[in-house]
Amino acid sequence: MRRCFDRAERKHARIILLTLGLILLFAALASQAAGRAHASPSPVPPSDNDSCLFCHSEPDMIIEAGAEQVLLTIDGDKFNASAHGQEQVACLDCHVANSKFPHPTYDKSSPREFSYSIYTATKATCKACHADEAQSAMSGVHEQTLDAGNHNAAMCADCHNPHYAKGAAERAEATEVCARCHSEIAAQYKASVHGKALLTEANPDVPACVDCHGGHSIEDPRTAEFRNHIPGLCAQCHTDASIMDKYDLSTNVLDTYVADYHGTTVTLFESNTPRLATNKPVCTDCHGTHTISKTDDPQSGIALKENLLVKCQRCHPDATANFPDAWMSHYDASPQNFPLVYYVNLFYKFFIPAVIGGMLVFVITDILRRILNRLKGGAH
Amino acid sequence: MAAKPKARPVSRRDAGKTAKKKEAQRSYVRFTLAQRVEHVLMLLSFSTLGLTGLPQRFASHPVSLWFINALGGIDNLRAIHHTAAVVMMFGTLYHILVVGYKIFVERRRLTMLPVVQDARDAFGVLLYNIGLKKIRPQMGRYTFEEKAEYWAFAWGAVVMGFTGFLMWNPVTAAKFLPGEFIPAAKAAHGGEAVLAVLAIIVWHMYSVHIKHFNKAMWSGRLNEEEMLHEHPLELADIKAGVADRPVDSLTLRKRQRIYYPVAGALAAIMLVGIYGFINIEETALITVPPQAEKVEVFVPQTPTPFPTPLPTATPTLPPPTPESALPPTWNNAIGALFAARCSECHGDSGGLNLGAYASASAGGVSGPLFVAGDPARSLLILKLTSGEHPYATLTADEIALLEAWILGGALEE
Repeated sequence: MRRCFDRAERKHARIILLTLGLILLFAALASQAAGRAHASPSPVPPSDNDSCLFCHSEPDMIIEAGAEQVLLTIDGDKFNASAHGQEQVACLDCHVANSKFPHPTYDKSSPREFSYSIYTATKATCKACHADEAQSAMSGVHEQTLDAGNHNAAMCADCHNPHYAKGAAERAEATEVCARCHSEIAAQYKASVHGKALLTEANPDVPACVDCHGGHSIEDPRTAEFRNHIPGLCAQCHTDASIMDKYDLSTNVLDTYVADYHGTTVTLFESNTPRLATNKPVCTDCHGTHTISKTDDPQSGIALKENLLVKCQRCHPDATANFPDAWMSHYDASPQNFPLVYYVNLFYKFFIPAVIGGMLVFVITDILRRILNRLKGGAH
Repeated sequence: MAAKPKARPVSRRDAGKTAKKKEAQRSYVRFTLAQRVEHVLMLLSFSTLGLTGLPQRFASHPVSLWFINALGGIDNLRAIHHTAAVVMMFGTLYHILVVGYKIFVERRRLTMLPVVQDARDAFGVLLYNIGLKKIRPQMGRYTFEEKAEYWAFAWGAVVMGFTGFLMWNPVTAAKFLPGEFIPAAKAAHGGEAVLAVLAIIVWHMYSVHIKHFNKAMWSGRLNEEEMLHEHPLELADIKAGVADRPVDSLTLRKRQRIYYPVAGALAAIMLVGIYGFINIEETALITVPPQAEKVEVFVPQTPTPFPTPLPTATPTLPPPTPESALPPTWNNAIGALFAARCSECHGDSGGLNLGAYASASAGGVSGPLFVAGDPARSLLILKLTSGEHPYATLTADEIALLEAWILGGALEE
């Protein structure tokens, strides 16, 4: 095995055995580099972490990073209780370069740069065990942003605390994780119909951040491509009767949207030029992105014409009070809702067959007459 | 058509049997060049409107998708549709002016006007077709079929024009009409389009392409036999000299003087109408670019404050007290101090090794550990007192002990 566990019983002889321990550690690193996914769990904490914790358990281990500070203190007990601790992951498994002292120099110009320099030094190790997640994350918007030089974007450890996390965050918790950097959006979300349901009643039906944005391969939501796909995204739940019936919500929303001028255009756009921006609205343009409220909300509900008019005016600045009725509010025309549309459709439903049928009567009898005449003529 | 020699009552009006052959060669103007050009224009715009309109009416159909994509997307398709609509608007404007001229200046007979006889003719044709009548009704310049098509087109132009305007200019329309008119206009536009295209296929195609390929709209002429078959009453009128006759030039000029200003004014009004149709509003076409909600993406929360350093930063081991008289040496104090407080890091792991006197004296990457006898210039003291050693620093007593050691020569024994 990669670790010499019986050494743990002789912790008191730590100083003497340090040299030996380090040699064994290097052997361990070599073997784990050969591809360890999950070590066999053992209740005995890895002893070689103790040499790190000798300093890093100092409660005030703070270094200066630019004008700010970074806390390097690690709570060994909490670590041992974490997912990584339980899996016997050693400090040096990830912090490979820190086996020597003094440690390599990291960028201390700011806490973010410090984190980024640790991220670049350790991300290969994340990948070694969490290959799929790392692979997805590499194509995500955060990694793209980091690559573009903005080191505020999330790195693995910003979301997944490598020292204390006990596993992937719960849905409600995950919202808090995103909120660390996207606090303004998170505040909007928490006040929305989805956010309230998730946070107050742990409702499993409403989307949390990751349900729309994805976990690792997070797509940039500001692209035309993402926008064009929003109707499909919302429809995943909003056309699912098993969810919508519980809340007495229509599952007809996508069909009625696609049948309308706006929806038709966006749908066609997505099928033809998904990367090209269209100025036609998608779900979020009227309902809000993170601010989605119930449509009958007295404050912002767009079932109220004056609230909807405000949305209309975003693209049609001259729109007047009648204008919102040009949008059929996801209704199918019926004698109750949009009767004019209903009766126009009804009219053509009978008018077209009547006219064309009448024409066909003339055409078909004419054809028959001609055939009969020709036969008679032929008989002459 | 050739197999109908019996039903030919007009033949009696023919001058004589000898002239008959010659007569058959004669042809009659059915459509002037201007009319034929107008027809081509309407044909092209109608077909374009149909081809680009139906894919919008049935947008989810795979054929529609294919067609829309083949034209480079829905925006292109709509641009073509709108262009064709404008062509048809101009065609309609022209037609109204020409018809006005024919009615008011030339005082032509209103041969396109539907009359009761048309209904009788239609009924008669039906009875003839099903064998309840021996003779097919004879018709004049425009048969009931042609009139039906002409007036259906006129009706369609009105419906499509009105509903098209509502869809093209929804914001303006909603200022005067209930908003619901706009989806209703869309429904009517689509319904009327289906009706028009089907009517063209069933009625027009059959009548002038399948039943008998009528080339009059291209050549402009019908020969004697065709006239006899299709417009016998008109032929009779022509022969009888009661068909339209040219107006004498004096009267013509007099009427023109009245008509031209009226037509000009009418044309101006209609042109303004078309201009308005196209330009009255842009918001539905070139809207403001989609605005993302005004929200900052990156708004980090205030970081959790670091834990306040606990007062337990005191050394775990009490500093070894030096023998009161003896100056501190490696062996009597310093070695043990380093072993307890420093060698975890400054051991064999690289860099400064405080595990043994020799390696400690050699120093680390920054240089020798001390300058014997001069604590103020010794790296060890400088690092510890300047705060350069970032954490796990020694207590003041410990530092004082080290200073005393260096001052005394930093001896091993």
